[in-house]
Amino acid sequence: MAQDNLNIRKLYALSSENKRFCFSLPLKHNIRIGKREYEVQLKSDEKYGTYILWKNRKYPVEIIRSRQNKYEILFNDISYTFTVETPFSIQRMKVLSTTKGKAEKELIVAPMPGKIIDVLVREGSVVTRGEPVAILEAMKMQNEILSPVNGTVVKVSAKANTNVMKNDLLVEIKL
Amino acid sequence: MDLSGKYYKAFTERQEAIKKQYSPAQAEKQHSKGKLTAWERLSLLFDNGSFEEIDAFVTPADQPVEFGKVERSFGDGVIVGHGKVNGRLIFAYAQDFTIMGGSLGIVHAKKISKIQEMALKMGSPIIALIDSGGARIQEGVASLSGYAGIFHNIIHSSGIIPQISVILGPAAGGAVYAPALTDFVFMVNHTSYMFVTGPNVVKEVLNEDVTSDGLGGAEVHARKSGVAQMIYDDEENTILALKKFLSYLPSNNVENPPVVIDDGSVSDVNEKLRDLVPDDPNKAYDVKDIINQIVDRNSFFETAELFGASLVTGFARLRGKTIGVVANQPKVLAGVLDIDSSTKGARFIRFCDAFNIPILTLEDVPGFLPGVDQEHAGIIRHGAKMLFAYAEATVPKITVILRKAYGGAFIVMNSKNLGGDFSFAWPSAEIAVMGPDGAVAILYRKELAASENPAELKKELVKKYRDKIANPFIADQLGYIDEVIDPATTRKKVISAFDALANKWVKVPARKHGNMPL
Repeated sequence: MAQDNLNIRKLYALSSENKRFCFSLPLKHNIRIGKREYEVQLKSDEKYGTYILWKNRKYPVEIIRSRQNKYEILFNDISYTFTVETPFSIQRMKVLSTTKGKAEKELIVAPMPGKIIDVLVREGSVVTRGEPVAILEAMKMQNEILSPVNGTVVKVSAKANTNVMKNDLLVEIKL
Repeated sequence: MDLSGKYYKAFTERQEAIKKQYSPAQAEKQHSKGKLTAWERLSLLFDNGSFEEIDAFVTPADQPVEFGKVERSFGDGVIVGHGKVNGRLIFAYAQDFTIMGGSLGIVHAKKISKIQEMALKMGSPIIALIDSGGARIQEGVASLSGYAGIFHNIIHSSGIIPQISVILGPAAGGAVYAPALTDFVFMVNHTSYMFVTGPNVVKEVLNEDVTSDGLGGAEVHARKSGVAQMIYDDEENTILALKKFLSYLPSNNVENPPVVIDDGSVSDVNEKLRDLVPDDPNKAYDVKDIINQIVDRNSFFETAELFGASLVTGFARLRGKTIGVVANQPKVLAGVLDIDSSTKGARFIRFCDAFNIPILTLEDVPGFLPGVDQEHAGIIRHGAKMLFAYAEATVPKITVILRKAYGGAFIVMNSKNLGGDFSFAWPSAEIAVMGPDGAVAILYRKELAASENPAELKKELVKKYRDKIANPFIADQLGYIDEVIDPATTRKKVISAFDALANKWVKVPARKHGNMPL
């Protein structure tokens, strides 16, 4: 019966800005970006750790965090986040984007009683998932309140130096 | 056997018929919903060609009363069998939504029960790939009793073999309790749902409008209810993550977890660890950065990332050996223990204990979360679960106190007298009944009230408290911790402590079971 593993010939790296880079399998040293092909090599040794070799120059690269197909890497001291996708998962994203329905809003509320120290966004600010929107002091600690979604801030109810109760609205985000 | 004879002909006809059942048209139906077919899922999970199906040709039970149509399919909507995952024996069942909605009839249920019993007998993990409309209405009570049998098997295998559920479509009604009883639940964003009653019933009974995703989608269960521990954006990554996850677990409760060959490339002394905890005790940091610097490179696999996030739990490796990590997360709610993080931690610790996985605790906890909300919702009995789980666990248990270790939360987080085997502290540790501000306010209430400059006096007393009481050296002198260590040597210390504990054996007196607060 259908016992073959899914025959995946291509992988995509999808950046957080939705840029897509294609790699054919098995991985070769040539990668195609747009119409041009580049020859790069991924190497590692004792002295330099992991680095990318391009035109005889070494560029250090470090995986800061990985979670299944999601990666956060540090390359030339700049951090990048991207996901590795298969042709099937790209296809699936297209299917789901048409069936997901209308855009909704996300309300960010205070997770615990405390005092707002700082508000980091304004109405109209564009936020990405995991970006701090406010700082709440509670349990004698400064807590970053993170946006769980990508979107645009439409309302800011939080004010610096005011006390909030649990579940008070801080920021409203339109997806 | 005569290959041209009539017996062989009957055999090939059957083979042809079942091939037809799993047709491209059926696959297309699943693909159009962003889902894979049951066979595609199994072939992703198991090593190439290693999956062997049993009971492929069984047919649905006859109905006692004719009501509604039952498709005469082979296998009754579920594929069961065994195979190798990364070379290890694993049992699995995969429900097939394209056959009567993957609904569970009595034959379907008996197939699942059979494979569950086999997995238990062989001491191998069992994986449930769930994509089912629920109990088969046409079969009535027979179908319900089928569920009961499945639940019974899960409960009696609990703590003997790892049981993992992967929700890849709907799981509704009583069916949700099968995954709920297993050790870990994986879900897929936007295509998998779990609820006791669906949106239609909610609308009818309570007049609430809610979508399937909003009621019981992956995100909801991972973030709010805590039903699902691992969620991913598509089925391939979910199954690949499951394969990785399995590599940390032993096959059963008498085996030790598999050991990965360690290339020795991670240095035991890591000076980066000295700079990760901020000097200002009010500043947060990400404890996952610390975990990643201690354990083998890229070996940390976090469980229940989004639920009770003020406590981080997950599996990792030290020199190739599996450990469970429990760490307070100062970045989220200051790392407090609340109801969600306590129940999450307790369940994780109990899993580690059942399957011989040593536990490393990284502690930076300001206490239990105060407030009416938490008290009324039962933080006392939920917090007690953590205590119970830690004290009950007989696997090697090591604690490293990174910074705050205050009050009841200090006791709970695997303190020495609760049964922790080794307790280390970084020089930045603050071990005391409560934080400086609280302590000063209570002990010097009168003096502060009488003082002309209370703010100045308070500052002075806080400093004195930090120097005299809230540090790791007093606890070290009194033997409540074993050693104050240089953060850079944490990996080395922890590895040698776990080595020393490798043959730990605790004799537990016979009893039916303890009575853990639930």
